[in-house]
Amino acid sequence: MRRLFPASLMIAIAGAILLFLQSTTPPYAMLTGPIRTSGAQGDTVASRTFSARVDKVVRAKTIAYKRFGKDVERETSGVWLLVAVEARAGSQTMPIRAATIRGASGRLYRQTRRADGAPQLLSAKTVQPGLPTTGLLVFELPEEELADMSLLLSGQYGPQLQDEIVIALDDRKIAVRDRAVLGDDGL
Amino acid sequence: MSLVALPPLLVAAFAVNARRNVDDYLHQIEMIVRPASDGEAHAGAEWRLAAVRLIGDGRDTKVTFPGQMRLVIVQLSATARQEIGEGWSQCRFTLVDDRGRRWLPLDPTLSRDISRDLDRNAKPVEGCGIASLHPPPKDKSVTIEEKFVVPADVLPSLKARLSFVGTRPGAIDLPVKFD
Repeated sequence: MRRLFPASLMIAIAGAILLFLQSTTPPYAMLTGPIRTSGAQGDTVASRTFSARVDKVVRAKTIAYKRFGKDVERETSGVWLLVAVEARAGSQTMPIRAATIRGASGRLYRQTRRADGAPQLLSAKTVQPGLPTTGLLVFELPEEELADMSLLLSGQYGPQLQDEIVIALDDRKIAVRDRAVLGDDGL
Repeated sequence: MSLVALPPLLVAAFAVNARRNVDDYLHQIEMIVRPASDGEAHAGAEWRLAAVRLIGDGRDTKVTFPGQMRLVIVQLSATARQEIGEGWSQCRFTLVDDRGRRWLPLDPTLSRDISRDLDRNAKPVEGCGIASLHPPPKDKSVTIEEKFVVPADVLPSLKARLSFVGTRPGAIDLPVKFD
């Protein structure tokens, strides 16, 4: 009986420790997830490998641009959200292919494919060290998502142990237009 | 007995995996960089800078690019000193400056388009990736070309850096000189 008590106590303590370790272990997705750097609209937010600044945000019901010399006009039952960004690469050439809006509900909206071929899209550019690059991001999302939005930028979608910049968009700084024209000079 | 074998087996499995990971990592990085010199082979060939063009300041062509943006076209000449085979696999041809920044080449499609815009009659010179698929036989030469977009203020300190999966972590540097 004397021997049984300490043995049981040790097993109970070991079990408690294991339970604690198991319940506090971060999930694999978190351990290998993106390395986030956050900031506000208008500020230059710098991560280890690149930096970005949101210069302008416009919402519109219709967007218009020229594609291969032809006029293109796109409408939406939701809202077009156009974001003008200046990006800078750190020490190596990199594309910034992934841009996502996290809306009011927490849902994530990737860049629309409906504006493919529009001029000055950031996703079609490559950012070179020492050469600040401006570009446009185009999103299509429901109107009710247009509050407390954040812009997530990274080299590619689903970054693992790579930089991701999160920029909180200021609702008061979103310009409203019926029709936004995407030109060679941006918005 | 089987339980006794478990710890050494776990250690052995860990060691094998760790070694594989370290090997993979070493074949990705360029840690040992030396200047290219005459008579010294790198990946089975002697390398020299064949030609450099600077586009965007209005001198080489009438084209001017906005602000600091410049297009640099670098040609390297390689003379095979042995049978290269797959020795040029995963070619990495970049430009670096003295601050450790690195510029990657333009993608092959854009590079070909630019070559055609610069000279409609000239046959575009192959890039490193394509040339690595059919390297020259022993004692024959080949020229490879890559195009880079760089800021004007780094031009005096630019070097071309070349490595292959078989040479990494080793790489060679060739100073890029503009007239």
